[in-house]
Amino acid sequence: MSKRLERADRIGYLFLTPWFIGMAAFTVGPILASLYLSFTEYTLLKPPEWLGLDNYREMLADPRLHKSLAVTFVYVFVSVPVQLVLALALALVLNRGVRGLSFYRSVYYLPSLLAGSVSIAILWRQIFGKDGLVNQLLEPFGVEGVSWVAHPDFALGTLVVLNAWTFGAPMVIFLAGLRQIPATYYEAAQVDGAGTVSRFFHITLPLLTPIIFFNLVLQMIGAFQSFTQAFVISGGQGGPSDSTLLYTLYLYQRGFGSFDMGYASAMAWVLLAVIAALTGLNFLFAKRWVFYGS
Amino acid sequence: MPRRLTALCLAGLVLAASACSGSSGGDDGTIELRFGWWGNNDRAAATQKVIDAFEAKNPGITVKGTYTDFNSYFDRLATEVAGGRAPDVITLGGAYPREYGDRGALLDLSKVALKTDKIGAAALGNGMFDGVQYGVPTGVNAISVVVNESVFDKAGVELPDQDTWTWDDFKRIARDLAAKLPDGSFALADPTRTDMLDAFSRQRGEALYTADGKVGISEQTLVEWWTMTLELRDARATPPASQTAELITQPAPEQSLMGRGLAAMQFDWSNQLTALRKASGQPLKLIRLPGETPTPGMWLQASQIYSINAKSEHPAEAAELVDFLVNSVDAGKIILADRGIPANSEVREGIQSVLTDDEKAQAAFIDELTPKAGPPLVIGPTGSTDTPKILDRVNAEVLFDRQTPAEAAADFVKQVATAIKQ
Repeated sequence: MSKRLERADRIGYLFLTPWFIGMAAFTVGPILASLYLSFTEYTLLKPPEWLGLDNYREMLADPRLHKSLAVTFVYVFVSVPVQLVLALALALVLNRGVRGLSFYRSVYYLPSLLAGSVSIAILWRQIFGKDGLVNQLLEPFGVEGVSWVAHPDFALGTLVVLNAWTFGAPMVIFLAGLRQIPATYYEAAQVDGAGTVSRFFHITLPLLTPIIFFNLVLQMIGAFQSFTQAFVISGGQGGPSDSTLLYTLYLYQRGFGSFDMGYASAMAWVLLAVIAALTGLNFLFAKRWVFYGS
Repeated sequence: MPRRLTALCLAGLVLAASACSGSSGGDDGTIELRFGWWGNNDRAAATQKVIDAFEAKNPGITVKGTYTDFNSYFDRLATEVAGGRAPDVITLGGAYPREYGDRGALLDLSKVALKTDKIGAAALGNGMFDGVQYGVPTGVNAISVVVNESVFDKAGVELPDQDTWTWDDFKRIARDLAAKLPDGSFALADPTRTDMLDAFSRQRGEALYTADGKVGISEQTLVEWWTMTLELRDARATPPASQTAELITQPAPEQSLMGRGLAAMQFDWSNQLTALRKASGQPLKLIRLPGETPTPGMWLQASQIYSINAKSEHPAEAAELVDFLVNSVDAGKIILADRGIPANSEVREGIQSVLTDDEKAQAAFIDELTPKAGPPLVIGPTGSTDTPKILDRVNAEVLFDRQTPAEAAADFVKQVATAIKQ
């Protein structure tokens, strides 16, 4: 018996071999290589030279890195909550038994599929540009609009709006979560005289906390890694005045624009550490507010 | 059973591996070259015609062209070079031949048979660094003022005399235009670009970089420059800061104010004249920069440089392609002046008969400038390809009133020094 199992295992692993090799060659290998590169000066064209901790030391004194961290934190901590509130609000509306639910669900999900694309970023640039849709709408009111995507006070805002617009994915998950709350709870509450608001805060929200938590963790990690939109909207520069210089964009600029692949690798590891630390904090605080049922 | 499985897996792996290592040769013995350049659709169409002509003359070689707009070209090239997938023939310009040459990515052209005897020495020098010829110039070019006469006429402002006009004249004209032009039209787009800092500092006896690879422009000169551009902005001679910031992300001639017929002047390279005329549909003119007396700041430069990838599997054939591009009259008749006035004297003569008015205007401009231009430009050291991006950032700080010209000047010098590891 045990021998048969062993053999079955062996065959199983054999079938998995290509994927193991793929993971080693295309995921684990590059990750470890980037760890090594982060301690070197690597200009892409010449072999890396060992620097020790110099790249990490440089990061402490690099004003653009600090700026990019600040921009990224603002982006994540504004756009994710906005996005989740929007997602939850729409999930609640759709959950009230709208006719043609699957249609609306698809329509609202669509931006999540599209927003990461270059074409939407280009569209965004048109909408918020100097001669864009937003300014055309403002014109009748006598407002002379600026180029929203190219003004240091507003450019990041347009990115936040774009990210918030991709509420479809968390919305679908919220919808699934809402479906799982037993109707009997609401009936009991209604009998006790609880109104809509109080039912939301005392039943829906507490029972939904695991889903909120899940969405929060996922969207935060995703937002930290945002790149395409900022790249396209700012023409790859993160401008104006570095106001849309997301961390990944700066990483890209250092790696591929300035040939500082060693420094870029160090940045990637710092980003990993930041995301890991914040996700850890998320889990730590989750004990205080996430309710997994009794 | 397991043994057969192992064999099967191995076979699969071998297949997968061999699929990855595709070589650049076809099965029938043809050689495939890749040729990378930047530009708009018109340039792409012309380049494709040249490629077709080359292929017709060289059976057995096929050429695959790849292009993007200028802003993304160098990001993409860096990625391709790093991945060992760079084109065989690479278009470069400015400080890029040194940037890539120093790092061993470009072929020393003395190793392939490539005739350069008909090419002007000054332009050829723009592809030579530390005694190694890394590239050959496509043509000759100069930074200039593109002028839209009809906009001047509409505003009732007289065109400047290019032999004598000073920067004060320039400012006065720009302000006059601003006062008389309709909303949405401007005297010019914000003029801040590294080429203009080159010219402006050379007129003051400095240069953006010194010959030994250091920052050469003084903070005083930068302060003068930005004081002027702020005056222009405040007079609405140039667009508001946010519009300038938006224009920076759109490098195509068609998207520029001049290309849209919304500006009276634009500082740009002379070879852009054709594209700008086509885009605006108006008879544009080239004139020399203000402030060229007593010390001229303008110079003649190789507009673009063709280089060969050091890792090319077919360097000899790549050299044949470059030879055809720069030394063949047939190719010259297709490219015309789009990549500058041809640097090869034979080609320049050979194409005279087919030049349109646009190209003749460019050729005349270069001919007139040649005796008046200053010494050759000192091309920036390794790392200096970051300078245009640094300038864009610092310029935004100035235009959005976040830094004074003095602060910006200090910041710019410091950042460039860091980039070139001075």
